[in-house]
Amino acid sequence: MSSDGRMTVLVAMSGGVDSSVAAALLVEQGHRVIGVTMKTFCYASTPGPSRTCCGLDGIQDARRVCDRLGIPHYVFDMEEEFTRDVIADFVSEYAAGRTPNPCVRCNSNTKIPDLLRRGRMLGADAVATGHYARIEEDGNGAWVVRRAVDGLKDQAYFLWGIPREVLPRLRFPLGELTKPEVRARARELGLVTADKPESQEICFVPDGDYAGFLAAHLGEDHPALTPGPLVTADGTVVGRHRGYARYTVGQRKGLGGGFPRPLYVLRVRPATNEVVVGAVEELNRDDVALGDLNWLTTPPSVGDRVEVQVRHRAPAVPATVVRADPECVELRLDRPVRAITPGQSGVLFRGDVLLGGGRIR
Amino acid sequence: MRTIYLDHAATTPVRPEVLAAMEPYAAERFGNPSSVHRWGQQARTALEEARERLAAAVGAARREIVFTGSGTEADNLAVLGRWLHARRAGGPVAVACSAVEHKAVLAAVRAAEREGAEALILAVDEEGRTDLGAVEEALRSRPCVVSVMWGNNETGVLQPVEEIAALCREAGVVFHSDAVQALGRVPVRVDRVPCDLLTVSAHKIGGPKGIGALYVRSGVDLEPLLHGGGQEAGLRPGTQNVAAAVGFAVAAELAVREQEAEAQRLAALRDRLEKALVDGLPGTVVNGGGAPRLPHILNVSVPGVDQESVLFALDLEGVAASSGSACTSGGVELSHVLTAMGRTADARTASVRLSLGRTTTSADIDEAARTIVDVLARIRAAAEG
Repeated sequence: MSSDGRMTVLVAMSGGVDSSVAAALLVEQGHRVIGVTMKTFCYASTPGPSRTCCGLDGIQDARRVCDRLGIPHYVFDMEEEFTRDVIADFVSEYAAGRTPNPCVRCNSNTKIPDLLRRGRMLGADAVATGHYARIEEDGNGAWVVRRAVDGLKDQAYFLWGIPREVLPRLRFPLGELTKPEVRARARELGLVTADKPESQEICFVPDGDYAGFLAAHLGEDHPALTPGPLVTADGTVVGRHRGYARYTVGQRKGLGGGFPRPLYVLRVRPATNEVVVGAVEELNRDDVALGDLNWLTTPPSVGDRVEVQVRHRAPAVPATVVRADPECVELRLDRPVRAITPGQSGVLFRGDVLLGGGRIR
Repeated sequence: MRTIYLDHAATTPVRPEVLAAMEPYAAERFGNPSSVHRWGQQARTALEEARERLAAAVGAARREIVFTGSGTEADNLAVLGRWLHARRAGGPVAVACSAVEHKAVLAAVRAAEREGAEALILAVDEEGRTDLGAVEEALRSRPCVVSVMWGNNETGVLQPVEEIAALCREAGVVFHSDAVQALGRVPVRVDRVPCDLLTVSAHKIGGPKGIGALYVRSGVDLEPLLHGGGQEAGLRPGTQNVAAAVGFAVAAELAVREQEAEAQRLAALRDRLEKALVDGLPGTVVNGGGAPRLPHILNVSVPGVDQESVLFALDLEGVAASSGSACTSGGVELSHVLTAMGRTADARTASVRLSLGRTTTSADIDEAARTIVDVLARIRAAAEG
C-alpha cells in the first residue's frame, strides 16, 4: 500500500452488476484497480456462439465494464482449484447424503485466498468482491466482518469460511449500499450490466439440473442415484425414492402422492439407502452441531450467547453454546427451527458481527 | 506510463500509406467489382491492380492470387481445397503437415481426418525444424498436400521450405506453405522456392485485418470451400473487399521493398533483447534459439514464473507480449509448438513470445528489457515467498 492509502486492488468480477459497481467504487476512491474474472469450469466442450469459454457472456460483460472504467481486465483460469475445492466437494457431499453449499466453499478457498495469492504476482495488496457485507478494522487492529446495511441482500452468511488472516487484505465495497442504490450507480455510470437479472442457480449447474450433474460425475449407477425405500421414522416403508442425492431435508416435492398427510424429508441415510420422511412438525429441532469450523473472531466458549443462522435468508436464532472444542460446536436454540440440513452452513453472529461457523453435522 | 507493443506477430498497426490508399475505396469508389457499370469497372480495376501488385511482391502471376477473408481462410482453402479435390477422385486420401503448423492448418488437417483422411503429422527436431526424413516418409503415402510453414508464429523458427518444396516437387506432390509471419521478414518468393500454394495475410505487415490471400500455382487444382457467385475464379465467392485488397497490396509492396534493411534492424534489436533476458533471468531458455529464425520473434521459457500471471503483470507495466498462440488458454497447457519440440508442460515455467515490428525502437527494447526482467524477477520472488 502507498503512503496515501491507495492500494492496488484485484476485483473479482463475474460480469454481474454487483461486482461491476464494486470495481467502479474502488476506482472512484482512487485505488489502482485490476478487474479479474475467474474461469472456474469449462462451460461447454462443443463450439458454437457464446457457448465457448472465451465467448462466455459474463467474461465479455466484465471486460466491457472494465474498459468503460478504464482499468485492465484479465481472465484467471482457476478451473483446477475450483474443481478440486468446490466441485469435488459438492459431488462428494451429495454422495454422502448431505446438502453442500458450494458458494461458501468457493469464497472460503477459491474466490478469496486463491485470488489473493495470484494477485500478489501482479503486485496487488488486496482483493475485493461484490458481496453485500462490511469489513472494518475495529480500532485495535482487528478486522471484523459485519452484515450489510441492506438486510434483504446481506450475504455475510456465505463468508464464514474465509481464513481469518486474509481479512486485512479483503474489501467489500457494497456493504453500505442497497441493491437499488447499486443498480442506480451502475446506470449512472452507463455500465452494460446495470439491468442484468440476479443469478440464482449454482454457477456450474446453469440449468439447475444438479441431479444430472451428479450423474455425470458419479455415474448413473452410483448408490446416491439408485432408487430405494422411503421410510418413516419408525421404519415403515411408505414408498420408493429415486436416489437419495435427489432429496434434501425439508423437501416435499418428488416424494410421490397418495399419503394421508403431507410428507417431508426428515433425513437421508446413505448407509441403508433410505430417505426418512415424516410430518412437518417432525422437521423442527432445537439443537445443532457444527463441524469443519472456522472463526473470524475469538472462538466461542461454552455458555456463550450467540445467534445462529442455518440457511441463507433464514433469520438468525438466539442460541447458547453447549459444547465448544476445535472439531465441534453444539448449540441449543432458544426456539425450534425447521429443516436443519446436514452439509449446509451453520453461521454464528453476535448482533451484526460475523463470528464464524461450520458445516451442519 | 509508457507502453511498448511487443506483439507484432499477433497484429500490427495499419501503416498511414496503406490507410490513405484504402480510403477512396471505402467511400466514393464503392462499386462492386462484378458490376458492369462504371462504378463496377472502377472497383474491378483497383482490385486487379491490387492483385497484380501483391502477385509481384511474392514473385507470382496476377491470376495466381486468390483473395480470402483471412490467413486462416487461405490455409483452410489450401488444405481442405486439396483434400476435397482428392476425395472427389476416389480412393484413400492422406494430408500432411508439420507438427508446429498454425492452428489454421493443423485444425483443417484434423477436420479432414475426421472425415476419413489419413493425417500425416511431420515430426520436428528440438529446435522446431521439420525433419526431412519425416517428409520423405510421408511422401510415400502420396498425400494430396504437404503443408509446412515458412517461419513459425510462436518461435520464429524458419522451416527448411526450399528442401521440402524440392522433395515434394520431385515426388509430384503439392506443397503448401503458410508464409503469414515470413512475408516482409525474409525473402518469400514462389519463383525461387517451388511452392504450389502459399498463404499470406495483410494485418501482420501493416495492412488491414479481414483480408488474406492464397497463391495457387497455375495448374494446381482446388475445390472451393464456399459456393456462390463465382468470384476469385470460383475459389472464393463473395463480393471482394476492394479497399482491403488495395491496402494489402500497398502493405506487401512496402514490406518487401523494406525487407532487407528492416530484417537487419529487427534482428539486431531482437538479439539485444534476447541477451538482456538471458543475462537478467538465470535459467532462461531461448526456444528455437539454435535454428535460423525470423528476425522479429523471440520466444523464451523462464523457470520459476507462473505462466498465467506473466502476461498480466507485463501488461500492467505497459509491455504487450503473448504466450504462444493467442487462443491457447490455461496455465498448464503448453503450446503445441513447444510440445512438438519436446518440452514438457510445467505450470511454473512461463513461455513468453515477444515480437517486434516497424514501430519498435531501440529505446523501446532497452526499456522493455528492464521492465521484463524486473517483472519476472518479482513474480519469481512472489512465487517462492
